[in-house]
Amino acid sequence: MIHVENLTKEFKKTIKEPGLKGSIKSFIKPKTEIIKAVDNISFDVPKGEILGFIGPNGAGKSTVIKMLTGILTPTSGTCEINGKIPYKNRKSYVREIGVVFGQRTQLWWDLALRETYAVIKEIYEVDDQSFKKRMDFLNEVLGLEDFITSPVRTLSLGQRMRADIAASLLHSPKVLFLDEPTIGLDVVVKDNIRQAIKSINETEQTTVILTTHDLQDVENLCDRIVMIDKGNKVFDGEIVELKRRYGQSRELKFVPRNIADVEKLNYEKEFGLKGGEIKVENDGHTVSVRFDSDKTAVEKVLGYTLSNLHVKDISVTDADIEEIIKGIYKSGVSPNA
Amino acid sequence: MRRILKIYKPFTHAGLLLAAQYRINFIFFVFGDILRCFITYFLWHAVFTSGSQQTFMGFSEIDMTVYIFITFLTGIVAYSDGAFAVGEEIRDGSIAMRMIKPIRFEFAFLFQELGERTMTAMIVFVPLMAGVELYKFAMTGALCFNIWCFLLYLLSLTLSYLINFYFNVCYGYSAFVLKYLWGSNLLKDCIVGFLSGGVIPLAFLPAGVGFVLNLLPFASLTYTPVMIYLGMYDAPRILMSLGLQVFWLTFFIFLQRIIWNACARRMSVQGG
Repeated sequence: MIHVENLTKEFKKTIKEPGLKGSIKSFIKPKTEIIKAVDNISFDVPKGEILGFIGPNGAGKSTVIKMLTGILTPTSGTCEINGKIPYKNRKSYVREIGVVFGQRTQLWWDLALRETYAVIKEIYEVDDQSFKKRMDFLNEVLGLEDFITSPVRTLSLGQRMRADIAASLLHSPKVLFLDEPTIGLDVVVKDNIRQAIKSINETEQTTVILTTHDLQDVENLCDRIVMIDKGNKVFDGEIVELKRRYGQSRELKFVPRNIADVEKLNYEKEFGLKGGEIKVENDGHTVSVRFDSDKTAVEKVLGYTLSNLHVKDISVTDADIEEIIKGIYKSGVSPNA
Repeated sequence: MRRILKIYKPFTHAGLLLAAQYRINFIFFVFGDILRCFITYFLWHAVFTSGSQQTFMGFSEIDMTVYIFITFLTGIVAYSDGAFAVGEEIRDGSIAMRMIKPIRFEFAFLFQELGERTMTAMIVFVPLMAGVELYKFAMTGALCFNIWCFLLYLLSLTLSYLINFYFNVCYGYSAFVLKYLWGSNLLKDCIVGFLSGGVIPLAFLPAGVGFVLNLLPFASLTYTPVMIYLGMYDAPRILMSLGLQVFWLTFFIFLQRIIWNACARRMSVQGG
C-alpha cells in the first residue's frame, strides 16, 4: 500500500546573526546552511493498518507526512502510495487520500460548515446519493449535527477537529493521514475521535497514518509504530515489541508506616543488581521503586519489601508507554539498538 | 470545460457568500474609493476652470470627468486581490491545505474571486454607470450611449480582469522569496496604477513614452477598456488593443504555470 524508501529531505536555512548589524548583513549576503530534516527513512505500510508515527518535536514527522501527501518534494529517495508517486502526479494522487493537519483547517473559515462540505463534494465529484450516505455515516461517528449550520470560525476546537476529519473522509479515501488529530482536545472529544478513526478503519479497511504526541492515541489505535528522532528512524515495530525491547519496567509504590524504615531496605544488595538497575525514590511520604521485571521478579521485590517494613498502602504498576518513550526521547537511541 | 465549471462553481458561490459576509467592510472600502475619485474630479475641475482652453490635450472637461469615473469603475471591477491572497497563504503555510485537494490551485482562487467580483459589480457597477451616463446627458443634452462601445467595453473589461488576476498571482508567488508582501504590494499597486493610466490618461504622456506604455501589459488593465468605452478608439485600434490583451493574458497564464512549477519543487511550507 505504502512503500517508502530512503526518503530524505533537506532544507536550506538562512542563518541570521543577532542584532541589527546581523540582520543587514544577512539581508545583503545571507549565509545558508543545509539541514537534513528527514534522513534516509524507509518503511512499508500494508493495507488496513493503523500506523503510529511518533517522535519528539522537530523530529521530522510533519515533513515526512508532507512528502507523503505530495506537498513537498523529497530531496532524494522515493515514496509510493497505491502505486502512485505523490509529488509527481499530485492532482490524481490526492483524490485517493484524506489529510488532516491538526494545526490547520481545510474548512472555509467564514462559511457555514455545510457549505464547506458542498464545495468538497464537487471537488471530489461525489454523487448525491453517496454524499448523503456518507454524511449520515460521518454524522453518526463524529456527531456533526449540532454545528453543521454554524460558521466554522464559531466552532470550538473539538468541533472543528471533528468537522475537519469528516471533511477529509467525504470522498472515502483509501489512505488517511492524520497529523496530530487530537492536539489540544479534551479527554471526551479525544475518545470520540479515536472511536471514529477505529470504526472507519474497521468498516472500510482505510489505511491510517497518524502522528501524535498523545501516546494514549498510539496505545488505543495503532497496530504498529514508527519512531523517528532527528530525521532518523529509531524504532519500527509493534507496541508490545517496544515495551519488551525498552524495558519491562514496573513501578512499585508504597506508603510505609514509618518513613525512616525505608533506610533498612537495600534492593541492590538483596537482588545482586548494579547501581541504576533499580531506582528508589522517596518523597518523604511515598516511596517508589522502579525495576525491570525481566531481571527481578515482581513477587520477589514485593515480598522483600513487605517482609521488611509495615506499609499502609502498596501498588504495582505496569510501565506505561509514556515512560518508555520519555526515556528514549531523552537519551536518544541508535537505530540498531 | 463543463467539468471545470462544475468543480469550481462552488468556489464562486463561496466567494459570493464571503463578500456578503463582510459587507460593511466592503461598503467602507468602496466608499473610500469613491471619495478619492471625487477628489481627483475636483482637481481636474480646477485645472479646466483656471485654464483658458476648452480642451486639454484632446480631452474636454466632460471627457475628463467621464474618464475619471469610468477609470475608477474599471479599476474596482477589474481589481484583483490575487497577489495578497496568494502571498498570505504562502506566508502562513495554509497553501498546504490547497495542495491536498485535487484542484488547480489558481483556478480555486480565480473562481472564488469571481464570486466576490460579481458582488462588487452588482452593487457598484450599475448605479455608477447610470450616473455617468446621466451626467453625460445632462451636460451635452444628447443621449450618446453607444451599445457597441459598451459591449466591447465589457469584453475588454473581462480580459482586463483576467490579466490582472494572473499578473497578481505571478506576483504573489514572490512571497516564496520575500515571505511577506504587504509593503511591496503597496509599491506595486502604485506603479501599476500609474502605468495603467489609472492616474492620468496615457495620452498625456510624451508620445514615445505613451507608445511604450500602451504596449506594456499595464495599459491593458485599465486604459484599453476605458478608451474603448469613451469611443476614443476606431475599429482597427480596438481590434489591435483587444489582440494585445489576449496576448498578455496568454503570456501571464503561462508565466504563472512556469513559476508555480518551479516553486512547488523547492517549496518549504512554513509553520507546523
